[in-house]
Amino acid sequence: MSLHESAAPDQYLLRELMDGLSLPGRASGLSLGIVGSATYPPLPPGECLRTCLDGDPGEVASRGCPFLAGAARNNIDLKHLRDGRCPKDYQVAAQHTILGGEPAVLITVEGKPETRGATGNLPARAPRGAAEAELLGHLDTAARLVQSVGLLLEENQGFANEVLQNYEQLNLIFDLTQQISQVTDVQAIERLLLQRVARLLVSECVYLLTSTYGSAGASPSQYGSAGASPSPNECRAYAAGGDTQGPKPVPPISPDEVKAAADFVRRTRQVHVRLVGDQHVIAGPLVRLDDKVDVMLAVRRASQGVFYSGDMMLIESVLAFGGQIISNTELHERLRRMSLEVTRAMVSAIDKKDHYTSGHSERVGFLTRLTAAELGISSAEQQNMGWSGLLHDVGKIGIPEEILCKPGKLTAEEFEVIKQHPRMGYEILKPIASMGVILDGILHHHEYPDGSGYPAGLAGEAIPLVARIIHVADTFDALTSTRSYRRAFGIEQALEIIREDQGTRIDAEVAEAFFQALAAYRRDAPDDFAARFARVNVAAGPRTGRPSEREVEHANP
Amino acid sequence: MSRILVAEDDPHILRLISMWLKRQGHDVLEARHGLAARDLLQAEPVDVLISDINMPGLDGLELIEAVVPAGLVRRGVVVLTNRWDHGEIRTRLAAWGVHVLPKPFSPSRLSELIESLTSSDVTEPQA
Ligand SMILES: [Fe+2]
Repeated sequence: MSLHESAAPDQYLLRELMDGLSLPGRASGLSLGIVGSATYPPLPPGECLRTCLDGDPGEVASRGCPFLAGAARNNIDLKHLRDGRCPKDYQVAAQHTILGGEPAVLITVEGKPETRGATGNLPARAPRGAAEAELLGHLDTAARLVQSVGLLLEENQGFANEVLQNYEQLNLIFDLTQQISQVTDVQAIERLLLQRVARLLVSECVYLLTSTYGSAGASPSQYGSAGASPSPNECRAYAAGGDTQGPKPVPPISPDEVKAAADFVRRTRQVHVRLVGDQHVIAGPLVRLDDKVDVMLAVRRASQGVFYSGDMMLIESVLAFGGQIISNTELHERLRRMSLEVTRAMVSAIDKKDHYTSGHSERVGFLTRLTAAELGISSAEQQNMGWSGLLHDVGKIGIPEEILCKPGKLTAEEFEVIKQHPRMGYEILKPIASMGVILDGILHHHEYPDGSGYPAGLAGEAIPLVARIIHVADTFDALTSTRSYRRAFGIEQALEIIREDQGTRIDAEVAEAFFQALAAYRRDAPDDFAARFARVNVAAGPRTGRPSEREVEHANP
Repeated sequence: MSRILVAEDDPHILRLISMWLKRQGHDVLEARHGLAARDLLQAEPVDVLISDINMPGLDGLELIEAVVPAGLVRRGVVVLTNRWDHGEIRTRLAAWGVHVLPKPFSPSRLSELIESLTSSDVTEPQA
């Protein structure tokens, strides 16, 4: 143990000083003890009187010493000390003095008298010598020095603690920025923010009040008291220390105070600190998309200390950052959904024009994705392939309706026109950057492995994988759909037809994956499967037999 | 309680780390540069070595190469370094099984790391 590690460095120094002053032999057995002042509380028995310690500390501590006991109670009666008896027959004297600028009681103890056990008949204390007075003067100066050194050390420790805390916060903020970029759903971002704010603010409980707080069911004033609590939609909570049950979403202050703090933050959009009872509350705005303001609220017990401006700056910047990320994520999600809906609407219009069973493109997109997953393709790529399947026939928008929907046999010229649709779709979407795989699927979904397809007449592996997948999905859905010129085939039959064409018009490997994926889907989600393929096996029932050459050729132009 | 040597040429950071570790109850030795650290370790091995990389005389990498193969560090080494050379340092030190923390270090993470290094049952010195 050294000076800068001591919890109370000034006491440590003072004790060292007294040890030095009371070394045996110095000033003929003079010993000093300080038994209480405002700064130096009474030391425990066995420590305050060095003289007794020199003898047998264990004995004194166990038998008790009236002086030490009195000192320990901080009940220092000089008269009592003068008149009392030291169990070791030391000569004891006490006097009021000033130490470090504060009143203190100084006890001096002098060497053993010649006769032991002559209690009640102690020799009178010798008059204090000049050396002793000088010593006491030095002691006072030393005590003042010790006190200021103690203050400096304390300050030093305070700085060190602050630096350590800043290091910790810096790391927490750095981690937050790193982790938040890897999270893509809003709920997870909210959880991360709650958790990090709890650690940054050293707060046990942190709450996120949404803009609907107090709107569902009970009013805020009923929360907690009447057993009602806010729903998770109104208030999300986080308790430090990993409460597995999840904390109750009821802040430990009155719901009206919660609402008042939240209202203030919503109105001013500023961080707000208030004292509620013996709890410190800090609240800040989390601005989301469409300018909705959620309020994050953290509570500390009085013993954990007030929230300072540093805490306010911290929560403000974390929430500003978090709000930005959440808004971006929400916006991204909204745009994604919107473009999907627009595309679906467009695609369904094309399906209608072609008199397909409604939902054809949608199903081809779905089956394409299912097959891509079965082939072990990355999820981002699966998504792109799904889009490609959804859009594969977009070029039909440029094919005249009288050709597209002609019930009878197509002339060679008419068929040439129909064969334009993959390239038309490709041309329509080409200006949109980042379409890559989507364009491949659109342009090549009528290529056959044997090279007899269109528009490029690619063969085998030269056909982009996405196009081979779409081709299988498209063929299956066309066969199981009723057309103006024929009834639908049943599922088993459609699969059988595809199986027969494996290697010639159908990519063998992709077809296997398709069979597996469809069987798994049918087994694992029978209700979904039935809903998606409801049109099959309805009305007059599926037709049987092999489609004519013309039907296969044009099953899915 | 573990015996830990901290090698760091910045006296303030050295004091800070030392203070933090002592507060956790560890027995801490301090060295202001690599050579002093090596001498202390040769006199008596420690459980954990915490070292800076850029130090005068013997730098952190040289120190680790000098003391770890000699079995002078029983449980593990933690390197504290500036972020800019973090990636490269990590690769170079991977072979020694050294843990790297960026500066400014997170006090709680340093404690956790030391806890995990010293609480495991592994008793043989690091290879
Ligand atoms: Fe097509």
